[in-house]
Amino acid sequence: MRNEIELEAIIEDYLLGKLSPEEKEGFELLRVNDPAVDHKVVAHKFFLDSLKQYGDMHSLIQKMDKAHAEMDMESLIEEYKPHPSYIVNMWRKNKSAFAIAASFLLISIFSIYSIQHNTKQNGTYEVMRREITNIKNSQNKLVRSLNAPAKQEKGHLNAAKFGGTGFALTANGYLCTNFHVIRDADSIYVQNNKGDSYKVKVVYRDPQYDIAILKIIDESFSPLATLPYKLKKNAIGMGENVYTLGFPKDDAVLGEGYVSSRTGHGGDTTQYQVSIPINPGNSGGPLLDNQGNIIGVITAKENQVEGAAFAIKSKYILEALNAIPQDSLGKKVAFSKKNPLQGLNRTRQIEKIEDYVYMIKVYN
Amino acid sequence: MGYHLHINVLIVSNKLSSSVPTDREVVLGILNNSEDVLNRLYIGYFPMILQLILNNNGDEDDAKDVYQEAIIILYNKIKSGDFELSSKLKTYIYSVCRRIWLKKLAQQSKTTGNVSDFEDVIAVDVDVEEHEEKDLQFEKMGSALKNLGEPCKTIIQDFYINNLSMQDICEKFGYTNTDNAKTQKYKCLQRLKKLFFKPDTA
Repeated sequence: MRNEIELEAIIEDYLLGKLSPEEKEGFELLRVNDPAVDHKVVAHKFFLDSLKQYGDMHSLIQKMDKAHAEMDMESLIEEYKPHPSYIVNMWRKNKSAFAIAASFLLISIFSIYSIQHNTKQNGTYEVMRREITNIKNSQNKLVRSLNAPAKQEKGHLNAAKFGGTGFALTANGYLCTNFHVIRDADSIYVQNNKGDSYKVKVVYRDPQYDIAILKIIDESFSPLATLPYKLKKNAIGMGENVYTLGFPKDDAVLGEGYVSSRTGHGGDTTQYQVSIPINPGNSGGPLLDNQGNIIGVITAKENQVEGAAFAIKSKYILEALNAIPQDSLGKKVAFSKKNPLQGLNRTRQIEKIEDYVYMIKVYN
Repeated sequence: MGYHLHINVLIVSNKLSSSVPTDREVVLGILNNSEDVLNRLYIGYFPMILQLILNNNGDEDDAKDVYQEAIIILYNKIKSGDFELSSKLKTYIYSVCRRIWLKKLAQQSKTTGNVSDFEDVIAVDVDVEEHEEKDLQFEKMGSALKNLGEPCKTIIQDFYINNLSMQDICEKFGYTNTDNAKTQKYKCLQRLKKLFFKPDTA
């Protein structure tokens, strides 16, 4: 009985991702060796999922009921119930709808006409957009697969399935990375350059711009000193020298290059094209200019073209931050207005920055 | 050409009713658990469904049931992460509601025919059927919890749904130590499992 309770407690911690990586590894070994335990895990997972799903639906229904109660049902019913002279009403409604539709049609035709005659680029823009989805498939998302060569890795790192890079947005532990890095994560840890690991949770995800915002929730985490860099809000010029810090291996690696185009894939205006050597694991890393301003987030590189990488413009990080519900932010995210990195040489800048760049370790 | 036309109409109509969230807002809002977006979504499209149901042999309670089911389907679809907007959200919600209502009408054998429509319709049969299976699980879990009785029901809900810690539960129910609470929770869970996995005869 006692053993049963203990076993179930461990299974639960395992399923909820509460085990430490070492414990997790040990337990997974036990699962492989003991089919009875494995069966229990599977059954328990199914049951917990059902319970969780029930809880989710229950709270969703409560929220909907609350919204429902806000509506003035009587006047709505009055407005939408079938009317004796229903057909007449429909005809009237349709007539006005028809008039609106007709004016939209005119406006649309006129705007298409003017678009086609004013800017040729807009005509080809649609075509390019469609191509993006094709090319995107050939793009390497720069998530590093950690399960194959585990040679140089030690300890619990072995258990991580994917790695990427992220960087601090606030001193109190909000980080920015790519959505695709954390997409299928069960649990996520980040590791700083001193080797300290912290558990994080995802507080915001935007699949469209490929941005995710994480929050360090580990109790052992103490707030950072003031951020040394700032987010650049304005666009940056072609040819500007840029650099990135990332974790294609277990230690931070510097990559240097220049902005080669103001747009990303096929004219994707949300990205820059950067000529910079990057590798799997660089995804989510900050892209900085000479003054130490963050101008983007490294996200992908082109398969066929050498040295063509892409970075999401910093403007969209700001957008993501603004879209985070205030209640989950706790206190307002603050950006340093002055930039202490300005005027320092590259080596000094990196010394200051590297404490704020993290390796992201994804377990699933 | 057709594509541009569609976009323009969408932009203008969104301006007309600014309180209804845009389709992108809805997807991001649900992904990120925004209560405000859910609220605006719910209030925004309910009249459309009320009109559909009231004009097809239903009352406002039917409208509420059908509409909430449709929102749950949309919610799960977005949360599962593979949601791609191939039509306007409005069309999707309308189509799902219409499909559910047709099924309910057939069950009550009020009518086997068609409903009179107010909006465009797309095919959503697969989504609705997938949901029916999930809904069955939901009902089963609901009745299992109901039959579980107190204090088990609250302990299970507090720990697994409201994410309270074992210590919190210990204090709330006045157990002398966490081991006692753990044993109690274990027993409760075993009983709940039995109720949940029991064949459907109950």
